[in-house]
Amino acid sequence: MNKKYDAIIIGAGVIGCPIAYELSKMGYKTLNVDKLADAGEGSTAGSCAIVRAHYSTADGVAMAYEGFKYWLDWENYLDNVTDEKGLAKYMNTGSILIKSQGHDWKKVQKNYDEVGVNYEEWSVAKIKEMVSVADLHEFWPVRRPEDPKFFDDPVKELEGAIFCPEGGYVNDPALSAHNIMRAAEAKGAEFIFNAEVVDIRSENGKVAGITLKDGTRIDAGIVVNVGGPHSFMVNKMAEGVWEGCNIKTKALRHEVMYCPSPEGYDYLNDGYHMSDGDIGCYVRPEVGNTFLIGSEDPECDPQEWVDPDEFYAGKGGHGKDNVLTDEQWKAQCYRLGKRIPSLQVPNQPKGVVDLYDCSDDWIPVYDKSDLPGFYMAIGTSGNQYKNAPVVGRMMAELIDACEKGLDHDKEPLQYKFKHTDRSTDVGFFSRKREINYNSSFSVNG
Amino acid sequence: MQIYICVKHVPDSAANITIVEKNRIDENLTFLLNPYDEHAVTEAVRIKDNLPDSEIVAVCLGKDDAEKTLRSAMAMGADRGLLIASDKNHDSIETAQALKAAIEQDGNPGLIFTGKESIDAEGMQTMFRIGALLDLPVATNVVNLDIEAGRAVVDCALSGGTANTYELSLPCVIGAGRGLNTPRYPTFPDVVKSKKKPVKKIAFYDLKIEPSKAGMKIVELEPLLQKREPKEIKGDAGEVAKKILRILKDEARVI
Amino acid sequence: MMKNIGIIIELDNGKIKETNFGMITLARAKDTELFAVVMDADAASVKEDLELFGITKIVEVCLSKDQQANPVVRAKVIINVIKAYNICAVFGLSTATGKDLLPRIAAFLEASLVMDCYAVDLEQNLVKTSQYSGKTIATIKVTGDVLVFGVRPNAVEPVKAQASARIVKLKLDESNLVAKGFRVIKTSEVDESTNINLVEADVIIAGGRGMKNGDNFTILSKCAEKLNAAVGASRVAVDAGWVPYSMQVGQTGEKVSPMVYIACGISGSVQHFAGMKTSGMVIAINTDGNASIMSNCDYYVKADALEIIPELIKHLEND
Repeated sequence: MNKKYDAIIIGAGVIGCPIAYELSKMGYKTLNVDKLADAGEGSTAGSCAIVRAHYSTADGVAMAYEGFKYWLDWENYLDNVTDEKGLAKYMNTGSILIKSQGHDWKKVQKNYDEVGVNYEEWSVAKIKEMVSVADLHEFWPVRRPEDPKFFDDPVKELEGAIFCPEGGYVNDPALSAHNIMRAAEAKGAEFIFNAEVVDIRSENGKVAGITLKDGTRIDAGIVVNVGGPHSFMVNKMAEGVWEGCNIKTKALRHEVMYCPSPEGYDYLNDGYHMSDGDIGCYVRPEVGNTFLIGSEDPECDPQEWVDPDEFYAGKGGHGKDNVLTDEQWKAQCYRLGKRIPSLQVPNQPKGVVDLYDCSDDWIPVYDKSDLPGFYMAIGTSGNQYKNAPVVGRMMAELIDACEKGLDHDKEPLQYKFKHTDRSTDVGFFSRKREINYNSSFSVNG
Repeated sequence: MQIYICVKHVPDSAANITIVEKNRIDENLTFLLNPYDEHAVTEAVRIKDNLPDSEIVAVCLGKDDAEKTLRSAMAMGADRGLLIASDKNHDSIETAQALKAAIEQDGNPGLIFTGKESIDAEGMQTMFRIGALLDLPVATNVVNLDIEAGRAVVDCALSGGTANTYELSLPCVIGAGRGLNTPRYPTFPDVVKSKKKPVKKIAFYDLKIEPSKAGMKIVELEPLLQKREPKEIKGDAGEVAKKILRILKDEARVI
Repeated sequence: MMKNIGIIIELDNGKIKETNFGMITLARAKDTELFAVVMDADAASVKEDLELFGITKIVEVCLSKDQQANPVVRAKVIINVIKAYNICAVFGLSTATGKDLLPRIAAFLEASLVMDCYAVDLEQNLVKTSQYSGKTIATIKVTGDVLVFGVRPNAVEPVKAQASARIVKLKLDESNLVAKGFRVIKTSEVDESTNINLVEADVIIAGGRGMKNGDNFTILSKCAEKLNAAVGASRVAVDAGWVPYSMQVGQTGEKVSPMVYIACGISGSVQHFAGMKTSGMVIAINTDGNASIMSNCDYYVKADALEIIPELIKHLEND
């Protein structure tokens, strides 16, 4: 390949594509390289694509709130590009956060107030009115069905919920990445697929380009790691990068279930996204009138850290490979079955097993690296889909500023949001940070 | 009426199968109630709704872990479970003998269900063997079942959307097919209720089954590798259609 | 020593089905004599065809229409044939009829049986079939005085081996043919509840974005009818409201493994593959040569499925 690029972006998922889009708009000649066949086919495709504002930090809330504005105005964001596959759709269901011991909801509420997020407080009676199928007893603490106490009768009622009218999900996450790819291409970005990066070359202490598995060398002065669950492997390919990160990333196996909605309940059209720390689950509607049931990573659930290549090849065996397990199927469906007693749970698990690119504190790393010219947008920990368009812009500005001489480690970039009147300290996402103990250490971020 | 449902604990069809020691699979994977058996349980529950005095007993020959499958059947409505525990895999001759012996020991079957096949061994024969051993009539791939005046009228699916209708005297053995009903899956309260239902465990060896002269023993299992090498079919629409037709006939052999 | 092999010939409206010849080819082995059993027709009418493939004895059994329709009676006829001619292995087709007949024979005799097999070694008594939803091939050692085999239709290429056959008429004692507690009421009635199920279909023809609208799915249905196939769809077609969710193949829909999967205007996303990757043969028809499915199939056509499928229907009608 003879072409010269200003920037090579490793990964064409929902974060890699908007980085290309924004850099292209700023005049950079970009190339995205992805080992899969098309944009968004990796862990993006396995994302639940939930768009919600509740995060345990004010910065987290602010960024998610900014993200909304992009999803609500998708065509404009894409500069009205056409995609032969059609456009992904943002489905606004509204978002219920159950007040429970499983969430520090008071902190979330404080963050909402601080950022100015629009919300209502719901009583138990109000929840019951809006979600007729729900049983609003308190089931805390979250347990597994292997634990006999899992089946104990509840005694108390819940306190209520916080409801955000703005919240929902994107119906096809892989398609949303594809849309952004088409928008980026319209600005001159290029993409190559079925291309696996095996080396990141550097010369004179600065990044020089990449080498592909087939031996192809592509040069660029900027390389961005957006490798998703492979991010730690990509960091290790670049000289001194992995060692220079105080926050590391690893691939965490994660199961999401699809369970049919109870007969007579039109969850697809009448249901809400609900984050329910009391049972350790979050749910949203999915095509076929099913509940998509995600896990909020309760402490009693096992965590399986895997080699992403082995995982995607279907290796590793029960609980480590890319097949749903009966144990987790029952855990998640029965937990929801407590909240929704009319939910019928099939015997055969149905859902998605994919990987989180998980950081030590479940907060992403959006940063430069110790190797000049090498950047990273990694450690998304299952909670950054909604922020992808914001991250794209923020990373592009960070790269541009650093290339123009900013010492981001010393004087962190202050990123000004485009839709909400607020800025964020990009240093919050630094690779050099200490573990942030304000984090929920879960998919909630 | 006592309704017996012979259920099987089978690997999830979605599981990655790994072969060990040449002729076995690594059983460290998700096992579940054989999908055809779900139709059998659902149908038995429907019959019981009309004949409330009935008792539904789920019977399973399997390893200790197969109790999970009995629990699934009980959560779906079976009243109790009967586990014939064995640490070996058995062919359908031994399986039928064990099921017959356990059912006879346990009660008086008015109706016996199986699934039309198991999704692991795909043997399609256990129901007939149980019927022969008990001298009862058998129908398989049953997609409609009416119990009336001491007899069962069944529709058995053939290919091409047609069916044969048979009349069987009771008791009889029914191999449930997919069209029989829509399985009714358990809710969480059903699961809680089923935890209190009893499972009786008997040892395969205590049934003192006479070894048969006949047998089917798996000597080797090999993974079916599917590496696709795409070939282009060229030509105008008519030529392409002709070529596809030939591929369907001569290569795929589905016409 | 010469072994006597029984082969149950399946007829369709009095005519011999082609797929019998592959089965006869499979059953042929050294030192064997092949007995064809014909229950539904005059043996003379099929003699020439059977001779062409090496049959040397044709056992003709005269049954009443009622008896012919009764699988229990048919099973007992075969048992009589086995006993009368000292037969040690019986071959039949693993068709819907065979699945209701062969296990009855094996059960009555307490004989071994392997259904849906595609290779048989009568010297070592080894049989090959697939198990675990087509994910493995099992080699099974069968034992016993009589072995019964259900042969997967069309699994074996027919090879001719001219012989000359003698017709033998077997007189049966009616008392041996009683179907206890089993009566036929109707046969081959069209049944609503037997609509070809997506999960069970041998052939699936599925449509995606390239079908352009819901009406065009009727073209797929028409083709499916001719192919005895089920119609599936990708998520896009379901999301767009063109077809009901029950037709969706993929991660959020049904998981299928038919012998042939024909993908019409489907790009082949990871999520779609999750539902059909275990299919036997995949044929992709798509205008976009770069669509993922084109590099992950057995045959691909760079064309509009809406032009190809109507042609295919025409050829199927003329066939």
